[in-house]
Amino acid sequence: MVVGRIKIRVPGTIKKGEVIPVMALVTHPMETGLRKTKDGKVIPAYFINDVDVFYGNERVTHCDWTYAISANPFISFYLKADKAAPLKIVYKDNKGGVYQESVQISPR
Amino acid sequence: MRQEDRGEQEGSGPALTRRAFIKSAGVAGAMFFMAGALPSLVKPALAAVKEENINEVLRRQFGSRKVSMSHVSINAPIIAENGAVVPLTITSDLPMNANDYVKKINVYADGNPEPYIAGISLTPANGKAMFALRIKMRKTSNVRAILETSTGKLYGAIRPVKVTIGGCGG
Repeated sequence: MVVGRIKIRVPGTIKKGEVIPVMALVTHPMETGLRKTKDGKVIPAYFINDVDVFYGNERVTHCDWTYAISANPFISFYLKADKAAPLKIVYKDNKGGVYQESVQISPR
Repeated sequence: MRQEDRGEQEGSGPALTRRAFIKSAGVAGAMFFMAGALPSLVKPALAAVKEENINEVLRRQFGSRKVSMSHVSINAPIIAENGAVVPLTITSDLPMNANDYVKKINVYADGNPEPYIAGISLTPANGKAMFALRIKMRKTSNVRAILETSTGKLYGAIRPVKVTIGGCGG
């Protein structure tokens, strides 16, 4: 599995000032650190613990996560589309991995 | 009299089998319950997990501040077949303007080894106070959301979710 592949979905046509739903998915195993292999070895914790959402230069949403978020985390939230700017989502995991993706929001 | 006696005896036939059936069903039920209860008892012993109580967590985070149980709704399945993926949608009708907005959404699952799952910071740029995510739950328990507004007020909601297969591993 490729770790850190991101998909962001926003509506196709956006009116200026409209509150739009944003959906994002990232591939990540999200290991809890509690699971064990068959021979009793603990699988080390490996999960995304920090998510930042930027709209232009402004940080609009931030998540503090623990291992209790499901594998391949899906998030959905709203955004007030009042300017033409990129929407960037940055995921960071506990092993120092940084994954990011952006889409252009261009309201008409 | 005789007929009555016979009637009772005849009646006792099916009654006995019914009783026996209920008994055996009860035993099977108890075994099923044990099978369900055992993994959750054994799991914490196997993996040395720091167990936390939801009340301690809430006391640490909010002290004695009052949480109003209104304006928040949690949309979650009544029965989650797989505890590893429990979809939650937390919505609130609280305002999202520059002076008064939902600053943070805290998410908890009471039955998890660490009940605090996520803290989501929102800003007025979100337009609506909503966040959807998928969480892992070890066992059947309550899911809680506690929202903090920029004016310092706390709003919350509780929703029970039944879990058939736990999702924390171990």
